Amino acid sequence: MSGEQFDRVEALLEEARLTARMPKPAERLRLRQAAGLSRAQVAAAVGVGRQTVANWEDGTTDPQPPGRFKYLRLLEGLAQIHPAAAPAQGPTETAAPSGAPVAGSAVPETAWGPNGLAVQGEPAPCLRCGVTTPYKATDGRSLHPGAMCQSPAAVAPLQAAAVPVPAPVSAPSPAPSPGPAPVPSRPQRRAKSAARAQAETAGLIGQAVHEELERAQGDADAAMKALVKRAIPDVMRLFGETRATARYTYTAYPALPDILTKPSKREPDQIWEARPNFHHPRYSLKNPGSIAVTALDVNAAYLSALKTWLPIGKLEHSTGMDGIDPKRSGVHLITPSPWHHPHLPDPLGDRDQPGPVWVTNATLRLLLRLATPKYGLLDPPVVHESWTSGATENFLDALRKTLTAARETAIAEDDTITLEYIKAMYSKFISTMGESIHNREIMRPDWMHIIHSQAYANLWGKAYKAHQAGLDVIAMMGTDELHVAGDWRQVFPEGRGVAQMKIKHSDAKASGEYTIGTAAR
Amino acid sequence: MAGTSGRWRDLGAFRARGVHGGVALAEGIDRMVTGIESPVDSERGLAARLRYLTASDAGYEAMDRAGIHVRPRTLIAWLAGEQTPSKANLARLDAAYWDLRRCNVVAGLKRRLNNRGRGTRIEIDPVDQSRVQHRHQRDLQTRNINVRGAVWDRAVDAWIAHDTQELEAIWDDIIQSTLGTDWDAYTHVSSIGWAA
Repeated sequence: MSGEQFDRVEALLEEARLTARMPKPAERLRLRQAAGLSRAQVAAAVGVGRQTVANWEDGTTDPQPPGRFKYLRLLEGLAQIHPAAAPAQGPTETAAPSGAPVAGSAVPETAWGPNGLAVQGEPAPCLRCGVTTPYKATDGRSLHPGAMCQSPAAVAPLQAAAVPVPAPVSAPSPAPSPGPAPVPSRPQRRAKSAARAQAETAGLIGQAVHEELERAQGDADAAMKALVKRAIPDVMRLFGETRATARYTYTAYPALPDILTKPSKREPDQIWEARPNFHHPRYSLKNPGSIAVTALDVNAAYLSALKTWLPIGKLEHSTGMDGIDPKRSGVHLITPSPWHHPHLPDPLGDRDQPGPVWVTNATLRLLLRLATPKYGLLDPPVVHESWTSGATENFLDALRKTLTAARETAIAEDDTITLEYIKAMYSKFISTMGESIHNREIMRPDWMHIIHSQAYANLWGKAYKAHQAGLDVIAMMGTDELHVAGDWRQVFPEGRGVAQMKIKHSDAKASGEYTIGTAAR
Repeated sequence: MAGTSGRWRDLGAFRARGVHGGVALAEGIDRMVTGIESPVDSERGLAARLRYLTASDAGYEAMDRAGIHVRPRTLIAWLAGEQTPSKANLARLDAAYWDLRRCNVVAGLKRRLNNRGRGTRIEIDPVDQSRVQHRHQRDLQTRNINVRGAVWDRAVDAWIAHDTQELEAIWDDIIQSTLGTDWDAYTHVSSIGWAA
């Protein structure tokens, strides 16, 4: 056998030996980070791609030739420089030269047999970590091979119980985290997973409540007042957080068409939001009767209405049906067709004036849907002109989800402060997103109108559902009020969740559960 | 100044629509000014304006500038609510009020826009090209830039002096120094906006 061949055999043996001692993925990551090396550096040295190294480190794949040998050699070397114990050690502990064999230099090396495998023997507690192992060190004591040990901090209690010989003399220091110590010179990874981002965003809400409670020294009323006061900047910040990795950049200050600009600060613009104010003509509160009516309240109607088609950019003008597109949204000038249904409210709200009217896309979508054969409730409206832009339904969805989840938690925990805070956040977000001096970070009156009319459209949907289930719709008012006669619990779940309905109690005569008579003819 | 032969100089040649950035800048500063909300023809709005205008010498000067030349006795009657100004004088009072109000908020506007040296991030919406023939359309994005430094002081001074040329020059400075090579495309805009 020539020397060259022998070398190659030796190399193979060495590789096999290293492969047998291959550290776990987490350990590979720890070693590299402990040495302050970047993946790119390691990848260049080993001769593979950076992603390959990343895969090796998170366990997606195991090192394969041709890079494997070099990589394992590197890891072995790093393991000697940065043994598993070292990064988790506090300076006090390393400074105390006790009998505890924790420092890398104090631990004897693993004994390797001629077959390339680590020598085994009577199982005994490991020198380094204290966990029982059959592997032996060069001096005959038990030791985990390679750098397979956990840090002694993580197993400190175990060690105290199981190891009689190398009992640490120094007092146990407060246990540092067993994870890899952060390297201060390198920035944290910036990309966040969706779940983590959402948890962080939700954390902002709890943090604000906590802050204000502490500032008010437990005075709930004062804290609530302070929270309502800071609701607008806070919700804009939440909105910004949810937009952090978003696909679209919206236009916050678009040039507005005349119909959307207010003639003065007090006068409204020309958009009809289709706000309902419906009282069934066949029933009357004035005539005493025995028809039992329940006033129902939609929970957080505006919060749910955040899920709607919102125009992203500047609104552009178009005439006729050109502006109608499932992927576009804005405002439309329509002539609605007449509404003749005897029992259901007009989806266009209580509008007395006939003729063309500017409505939002949310209302138009409802009208067009009701004109389809599935409903067949009215003829489609005539669209004269539109101001629209490309739209998405998911624009405020992340914000809606975050607030809804926080609201649910607050209800479950009976946390009225957080509940009020969340209510202030979403309602003020919507009411100030137009031209408001209280919120200058966004100027989208079109969004405000669309969200409002989406809430009314959602309410109409509830009325329709009640009617389909055989209930009588007695009244439909405002954003969230629906009065029905009949067993409504069969139709709507009762509760405070966004998908549930609750009985509305107020000072008005027609609130809670009341009775009503039929109108005189 | 920007090049005089730029294609974006003669806006409207291909039916693009927009206003000069300097104009939009002035409109943006205008939007920042708040004051008495009640209209001048309401009792409350008139009383508030008169009180504001008669509280200082600057107020009398503003009335002078607006062309209100009435005898002190009339002014006292207005203040006491015994007499209502004529329609023309109501309009002049309103103009005088807003004139004075603008002068008084100049320092506040500069402070808000400078934001302790951090400046203000502005959003620039490019010109409206929806009527431009497709082959003449240019790919323009909405841009967000941070404007800081002495620019805001100059802009507010030009705004209060109604100096359109200076505002246009300031706008050219802003876009030349912060936008890339296509800065010229943003000489005219459809709107700009900021939160300050």
